[in-house]
Amino acid sequence: MLVKLEGGRIIDPAHNRDAVGDLYLEDGRIVEKPDGREPDEVHDVSGKIVMAGAIDVHSHIAGSNVTLGRQLMPELPLLAAAEGQPVLPSPAAWGSYATGLRYAQMGYTTVIEPAMIPTHAIQAQTELASIPIIDVAGLVVLGNDDYTLNLLRKGDAKSDELKDYVAWTLAHSKAIGLKVINAGGSEAFKFNARTFDLDEQVPEYGVTSRGIVEAMQKVVADLGVPHPPHVHINNLGIAGNVDTAVATLKATQGRPIHMAHIQFYGYGKEGDKGFSSGAPRLMEAINKHKNATVDVGQVLFGQTITISGDILRQFDGRRAANPKKWIINQGEGNGTGLVPYKYKKKSFVNALQWAIGLEIFLLADDLWRVLFSTDHPNGALFTRYPEIFHLLMDKNERSRWFDALPEATRQVSTLGSISRELTLSELAIITRAAPAKLLGLIDRGHLAPGAIADVAVYTNRRDKTKMFSAADLVFKSGKLVVRKGDVVDVTWGRCYHVDPGFDSQIKRRVKAFYDTYYGADPSWFGVTEAVSDRPDRFATIRCAS
Amino acid sequence: MDSTLQRAAELLSQARLPVFGGLFTDVKGAAAALSLARKLGGVVDHAASEGTSRAARVMRETGATPASFGEVRNRADTIVVIGNMPRTRDPKLLDKLFPARATLPRPGDNKRELIVVGAKKGKVPSGVRVTEIGGKNALPELVALLAAAVREGPFDIRDSALAKRILSAGERLRNSAFAVFVYDPAELDEPVLHTVLEAVRHLVKTTRAATLSLSAPGNGEGVNLCSTWTCGLPVRTSFAGDVPENSIWAYEAGRLLRSNEADALVWIDALDGEEATPPTRSFRGVPAVVLSSRPVKAGRDDVVIEVGAAAADHDAAVYLPQIAGIGMVKATAANSKRPTVAEVLSRIEALIDAKGAA
Repeated sequence: MLVKLEGGRIIDPAHNRDAVGDLYLEDGRIVEKPDGREPDEVHDVSGKIVMAGAIDVHSHIAGSNVTLGRQLMPELPLLAAAEGQPVLPSPAAWGSYATGLRYAQMGYTTVIEPAMIPTHAIQAQTELASIPIIDVAGLVVLGNDDYTLNLLRKGDAKSDELKDYVAWTLAHSKAIGLKVINAGGSEAFKFNARTFDLDEQVPEYGVTSRGIVEAMQKVVADLGVPHPPHVHINNLGIAGNVDTAVATLKATQGRPIHMAHIQFYGYGKEGDKGFSSGAPRLMEAINKHKNATVDVGQVLFGQTITISGDILRQFDGRRAANPKKWIINQGEGNGTGLVPYKYKKKSFVNALQWAIGLEIFLLADDLWRVLFSTDHPNGALFTRYPEIFHLLMDKNERSRWFDALPEATRQVSTLGSISRELTLSELAIITRAAPAKLLGLIDRGHLAPGAIADVAVYTNRRDKTKMFSAADLVFKSGKLVVRKGDVVDVTWGRCYHVDPGFDSQIKRRVKAFYDTYYGADPSWFGVTEAVSDRPDRFATIRCAS
Repeated sequence: MDSTLQRAAELLSQARLPVFGGLFTDVKGAAAALSLARKLGGVVDHAASEGTSRAARVMRETGATPASFGEVRNRADTIVVIGNMPRTRDPKLLDKLFPARATLPRPGDNKRELIVVGAKKGKVPSGVRVTEIGGKNALPELVALLAAAVREGPFDIRDSALAKRILSAGERLRNSAFAVFVYDPAELDEPVLHTVLEAVRHLVKTTRAATLSLSAPGNGEGVNLCSTWTCGLPVRTSFAGDVPENSIWAYEAGRLLRSNEADALVWIDALDGEEATPPTRSFRGVPAVVLSSRPVKAGRDDVVIEVGAAAADHDAAVYLPQIAGIGMVKATAANSKRPTVAEVLSRIEALIDAKGAA
């Protein structure tokens, strides 16, 4: 069926396009205007904004960590709704089904789950397969696991073994890329370390955080995986940690890296309270290091829960739990920490975190490298993205929020002096074009013929919160799934992954490792098509090598 | 088969409050049961949910400090086994937790040690030092005494030999590099679970500590996880209202059947090597749809559907303690013609949908 979206303002920064025009969809793809054929369906979108479906590069929506969060805090949607956050007041709002519907309503069509645990990949993929409408992909976590650390310790190990191990893990979990969370820090926690820095050594293994990240960067590049290592660096959330972020950028020596939720590393330690915005210094470094991309991890005020494989930091953070309950789950590799948290407008620190995130976006020279995220649910629930878009696009809205912050925060923040407002094209970069490019999902994030027909149509309003909360129309793979903010068709998306080759020797080695130390067989946690009943669930994206 | 499924669909569409019980099934079976229960406004419960439900409530109230089986086996230097159930449930538990083979590097240089609370020490792997904290005192009291000793708080018991052992165990735990408390929540009441958790939380101020909770029979954890990611809540959840509601007491399958609040039962018992105990004998007193992989005694009007046993007749995703998560178990006899629980429930759901549409 040929569908025509007629007369909308088409915003497609991947092709420098911001102009009124028509868009044609057929067989799930965007197509050229066909000669001499009438469309089967025409949608008059004149006066509306037409963008590619949005892509979320970092959102914890599935897997054993997220579901442990649901178990700890089933009341989260109820608490959030009671505060006026846009969440259905039902525990089911935390569930997979509601997740897909909510994302679609906002015009999102692809979401990346950023922390699959290798041994729990079946749960992560089964959960992802139960989320309707959106396409998904997962990043698999390595870097604190004993197999990797053992290879890095040995030094004499043939360098290809780590490469094979990473390739095997990516394939075994059907992941799109590699995640590294506080490299070495979670393992150090097992030996009772309570802090861990870039150049500290992992007990018993001797390797440093710097060494682990460096090795993973090399391996991922060698494998030709499009998405560079997605790194949650050391010292998250600590005053003065902008030093760590800058040092980590320097350590990359020009090799590709994605640094996650960088807002949580934008902290200086100036001032009476020993906590200040490090955003200008951070952004100077990010602007300079063109090999690096980041997502922001913006904070908004309200109730949420923090879910992280950075167990060392979460352990420290447990003291700030609100409500007062927490889980420290000591598992293979990273483990997980779950700490409910409420960002308070009246808190000096929380208010400054909010301002720092916005500063990061607004001080970016190159928005293709500064991607949108709240690190859902860590900075804010994903249902609140439209409020952040509003803040980025409207300096009056920003002032309105800023003026309500504590005096002490306003005095030290430079946010008030920034007048930049993101344009619709810039918003489309940080929520569509740049994530697609970063992930190697070249068939989306843009609106050229051949792209997947993931399209979101919005009514252009001054109130951007309202504008982006409910899309007028959303097409997923060419099917109309949302009309006037309501889901009209519940479709099922696909899961994208890489499948780099490896020497099959690694299978034998990994099997022996799991047998010896865990009494387990790796085949138990290998993801197959069987996690879904839909035959075309999985799609492979190409690696360069 | 078709007419049997038709009868099941008929029975269920007439029910006011159907209960999905047993749920000895794989993750796909659980997902299908949850889907149908949501559609019908029913209740989901699992036949071994007594312990998991208590543990879930404790977690919701105050949190948890779990460690994976692998971490405990490789890195714990002091393991406290509470009660009889852990070793009754898994007679080889101690051999697994104290493997004879090499382990991954572990913190500290303590020799590995076992403390048994409220049970006989039994057979212990060679080379492992063991302390028995038992006697006439009840298990909750022994746990409370040990927790007091961990905190160096005062306690007073007559048995001075026992008191000495408890004090020494408390000291050992404080000096451990990684102390782990192993228990089956089905054997412990909620206050005891809280006491253990608080002891761990005291220890982690200065060292590493955790709990290892034995997983429930019948894929209890797997079904619970599936329920949680599907609707935000664990089993013993009702879909009868506008929003799903969880209550350990109100939505327990046996209670709902005995009180006649439920007017239909879907009983699912289809895991290889495990058998669910029905809440009422022969399902008497309530119309039932029984999905079982073994012969069952059912009432005359019950609908009985023979299904394959997960992990024997078909591959199955179930909770595996060794990886502290859901894993895939290959079928041992994959040539079975018997349908899976998920297939049967999906077909019943489709028949109900068709009736609704007609």
